[in-house]
Amino acid sequence: MKCSFCEHELTPAMLREKGCGVCIGGCRKIHCPYCGQENPLVPESLEKLLRREKSGD
Amino acid sequence: MQKEPQAEKKIILVGNPNVGKSVVFNSLTGSYTTVSNYPGTSVEVSRGHCQIDSENFLVLDTPGMYSLLPITEEERVARRILLEESPHVVLHVIDARNLERMLPMTLQLIEAGLPVVVLVNIMDEAERIGMQIDIPLLQEKLQVPVVGGAMGRGKRGLAEVREAIGQYRVGKATFTYASDLEKDIQKISALLLGDYILARRSLTLMLLQRDDEIAQRVRDREGDRYAGVESAVNDTIFARRVDLHLRISLERKRICKGLLDGVVTQRSGQQPALVDRFSAWTMNPWTGVPLLLLVLYFGLYQFVGGFGAGTIVDFLEGTVFEEFLNPWVIGLCEKYIPWYWLNELLVGEYGLFTLGVRYAFAIILPIVGTFFIAFAVIEDSGYFPRLAMLVDRVFKKIGLNGRAVIPMVLGFGCDTMATVVTRTLESSRERIIATLLLALAIPCSAQMGVILGLLSGVPGALVVWLACMIGVFLLVGLLAAQVVPGERPMFYMEIPPMRMPQLQNVLVKTLTRMQWYFMEIFPLFMIASVLLWAGKLTGALQWLVEAFNPVMRLLGLPHEASAAFIFGFFRRDFGAAGLYDLQTEGLLDPVQLTVAAVTLTLFVPCVAQFLVMQKERGWRTSLVIFFLVTGLAFSVGWALNRFLLMTGILA
Repeated sequence: MKCSFCEHELTPAMLREKGCGVCIGGCRKIHCPYCGQENPLVPESLEKLLRREKSGD
Repeated sequence: MQKEPQAEKKIILVGNPNVGKSVVFNSLTGSYTTVSNYPGTSVEVSRGHCQIDSENFLVLDTPGMYSLLPITEEERVARRILLEESPHVVLHVIDARNLERMLPMTLQLIEAGLPVVVLVNIMDEAERIGMQIDIPLLQEKLQVPVVGGAMGRGKRGLAEVREAIGQYRVGKATFTYASDLEKDIQKISALLLGDYILARRSLTLMLLQRDDEIAQRVRDREGDRYAGVESAVNDTIFARRVDLHLRISLERKRICKGLLDGVVTQRSGQQPALVDRFSAWTMNPWTGVPLLLLVLYFGLYQFVGGFGAGTIVDFLEGTVFEEFLNPWVIGLCEKYIPWYWLNELLVGEYGLFTLGVRYAFAIILPIVGTFFIAFAVIEDSGYFPRLAMLVDRVFKKIGLNGRAVIPMVLGFGCDTMATVVTRTLESSRERIIATLLLALAIPCSAQMGVILGLLSGVPGALVVWLACMIGVFLLVGLLAAQVVPGERPMFYMEIPPMRMPQLQNVLVKTLTRMQWYFMEIFPLFMIASVLLWAGKLTGALQWLVEAFNPVMRLLGLPHEASAAFIFGFFRRDFGAAGLYDLQTEGLLDPVQLTVAAVTLTLFVPCVAQFLVMQKERGWRTSLVIFFLVTGLAFSVGWALNRFLLMTGILA
């Protein structure tokens, strides 16, 4: 996944990083370490669906 | 006597993510590879073996890195590998289509004295778009082996890479920085007397760029002498009074531009691609501002205001809720719930269903949904970094610093996160001004969507609102820049390529944003409904509304507008939805609607932003900003009302 502002690659390690704790109901964003852009973290269910579509199941 | 086995020579692959490093790794090593976490980290490193000219090599594929100065854990690991694994060759894989972006790291590697071989990969794609790259000339300029290749297609260049590795000879290129910087580098380099893997020149540059890990390594090697090194570094940073990190990056950019002169040419007869010309137009103030206005008009005004707030809200609010859902739910409650207080809580004036659910689904959902679609299209096209460059140029003309542009532009997505981002600004002055402007005049995506939706039905109202926002932003920014003393550092950012937005990306981003937005606002709307309901039953709300009446009178607003402002304390978009209700009930004329919208937009956006402000800037600064913003919001509202009544605009 790429940052939608600066296009730096966001890696799985960044996805595991803890959020800032401000949002109600937990963090659903990935904070790009290069520019600060908050990128939406795609929900697992949607990601599964996209993967299934890609593999043509 | 048994002969000790000789350690394998190492080839370390480095480069940005997505340049084809893994393909190169697989091409070199074949199928027998292992993947394991680098010791003490969760970062994976692939290892494999290859044989070149009958000699065995261990090949390491490092995580993607953009620079020798690490920001992420992956980059830290990649650098640690370079520092600790004593490579025979560092194979730097770069993308032929983006040489200007990738060459600064090549420079860093060569400067560091590492045995670099450069593989200019993806040549086939570069040639397809008309680029011609003079590989021998680049090799001559860099003085290290350079190979052109396309590893994804037929392993083009693999034989040359193997040859370059097998016959590696260290080059001696030196890249010269500006004379003042050169003097600094030489002065500090001379103080480094320890034994280092990296060249002293490179270490000095990293020390000047405040690299803590390198500072620690230098401390370990220099021992007692480190105090002298540290003092020289600090004195230089202080004496230069500029952000040396940025200065060095810009110098490297300049050197790379010189290196690429004559190396990259566009095939004759081929004009720069339309997308490149368009990209340049978006950043030139003469063409960029009209383009920005077009984006605002079609993307936001027509699509969000006209379609989202008009067509869809009319249908959901006017038809689905007013004609079907509300009468049905109210009927059910009246039939089965005998208690007045519970009826009020569920379907009363501030009921959970009639206010909370209706606002969330019938008003906010369509507006924010269409806004997020427009936002995702603009974002996916790569327009935002260009907007940052455009705004920076405009900022500079009025004496404001440009680097704060990034949190400002990010603030249009979410002010709360943008306030967190202000911590990346260098000086305390910049951080305070950026926090103030974010709290005051940058509406977040949801707020902007609802305000746009609210005002788009009244001709001229949106223009007045926009003029007020820009005016307040520039005035407060200018005043703050005068009042808060400090340096005005440079601004520079990498501009990624422009691209056609992908439907799937847009939909995924929109759905994801809508999900987290709803998870965030829905509970707040419910809590607000309950508080308002309790306030109504206890009489506290009436008291609060009456307390607000003088303020409403000053703003020229009906007393009913007090409730919307009380909603606005929870979130500005909740307050704006309250204004929407008043407007549809015919309680606000165009002047009143515009004044209310301007005042509400200038408010501190939400509780979360205030909390982050407090966390980032401390109680004193955040309270000063809060009261300043509140006072300014009502003062501007009052002045605007007087102005509009006096001039007859919007009458």
